[in-house]
Amino acid sequence: MSEAIFVEGLTKTYAGKTVVDHLDLSVKSGTVFGLLGANGAGKSTTIECMLGTKQADSGTVRLLGKDPKKKRRTLFQRIGVQFQEGDYQKEIKVSELCEETASLYRSPADWHNLCEQFGIGDKANTPVKGLSGGERQRLFIVLALIPQPELVFLDELTTGLDAKARRGVWKTLEGLKEQGLTIFLTSHFMDEVEALCDEICILKKGTPVFRGTVEQAKTQCGCERFEDAYLQLSDEEVDA
Amino acid sequence: MKRFFTYLKTELKLSLRDMNMPIFAIIMPFVIFIILGIIYGTKPAYDGADYTFMEQSFGAVSAVAICASGLMGLPLAVSGLREMKILKRLRVTPVSPVFILGVELSMYIVYCAVSLATLSVAALLWGVRLHGSFLAFLGSWMLTMLSTLSVGMLVGGVAKDTKQASVIASILYFPMLVFSGTTLPIEVMPKAMQKIVSVFPLTQGLTMMKNTFLGVSTGSILLPIGVMLGVAALCTILAVRFFRWE
Repeated sequence: MSEAIFVEGLTKTYAGKTVVDHLDLSVKSGTVFGLLGANGAGKSTTIECMLGTKQADSGTVRLLGKDPKKKRRTLFQRIGVQFQEGDYQKEIKVSELCEETASLYRSPADWHNLCEQFGIGDKANTPVKGLSGGERQRLFIVLALIPQPELVFLDELTTGLDAKARRGVWKTLEGLKEQGLTIFLTSHFMDEVEALCDEICILKKGTPVFRGTVEQAKTQCGCERFEDAYLQLSDEEVDA
Repeated sequence: MKRFFTYLKTELKLSLRDMNMPIFAIIMPFVIFIILGIIYGTKPAYDGADYTFMEQSFGAVSAVAICASGLMGLPLAVSGLREMKILKRLRVTPVSPVFILGVELSMYIVYCAVSLATLSVAALLWGVRLHGSFLAFLGSWMLTMLSTLSVGMLVGGVAKDTKQASVIASILYFPMLVFSGTTLPIEVMPKAMQKIVSVFPLTQGLTMMKNTFLGVSTGSILLPIGVMLGVAALCTILAVRFFRWE
């Protein structure tokens, strides 16, 4: 199986503080990878350095075998991205944002279908700012999937979604994974990570403290629930 | 090309919804022209002139839209995309700076053209007639527009945020508006000042637009064309080369 993401020695410092410290990652094609960690552990910075929207101090990044900085335009035909905070033009409507996004790609997916799948099919004429938090979150997942990507980055996948909507998103993503999509996600919901991720990496202050499968994490910690294992590994456990 | 127009269509719709540009680039020059028309009617530009005051003013008033578009609208629009982090989102798509700047540039060309069209219709009210060659006037209008818009593109393309873009835009906008001959005739300025303002592309453009409209001989046209083409090329190259996503 080929490698969709390869990261070696990724390091990023802000004002003398190391946010990501010599990080190595490898994600196989067609799998779901979860990058976990507390707020401020360096997840979003890692993603941004991988995508090239932030300049890493050192390290190598290969997405689908290519350097995202040098091959930006060809590579991002095949990669979808959902940032933690989705930004949009003030007065734009859902249909306009989708249409505009679709116009950037050679063979975009039908955004009407995607909106239907994510339960916002009836919102086409709504201004984006008029959507609820959960609807907007789903819209930005739709935007990330419009390129019909081979690899998708989803930062804080289902933050703000209700239980039912989250299940819906999982199901759709599982379907896309069946078709060969590679998914790189961050999430604070351990049930979600357990349901979706083939492999995880837990970051603590920019350094990986665990790498492997959810099952391995549970075994290593002797925990029955993954959330307990996560808390133990990320050293976040609160003394009861 | 189809993708370009899809994008342009949406951006135009958003810009119209916002109403700022329709007011500054279309309604404002129109109102100025109407007021001038009410005041001067069909009076000659000066005693014994072959053309009316309105005919003399036509070029200058059509430059108001160019000024508003190039030195206010365009820089603020592009830096606004950056400030709202829309450029950050676009950075992880296949879109190129040329595409983004091209869409914004085209949008403001549309504004300038619509303004020129509305002024041309209003001009009929006072029997304003083009004395020179239509193509020469259109050519100088296009050159003026492209060079002014390219300055705006450069400011918008490289400014850190909307605030910085707005400061630079104002520094360019007001002197050009006041000193390029749009409002104050160049002829009344001291000689030294005339030399200084002649480096503004707008000054060159305006003089050419006025002369071609009135069909007056302009002497050498190489200098104005050279200045405007030079500015347009230089600013465009710099805007693309030093384009900032964030």
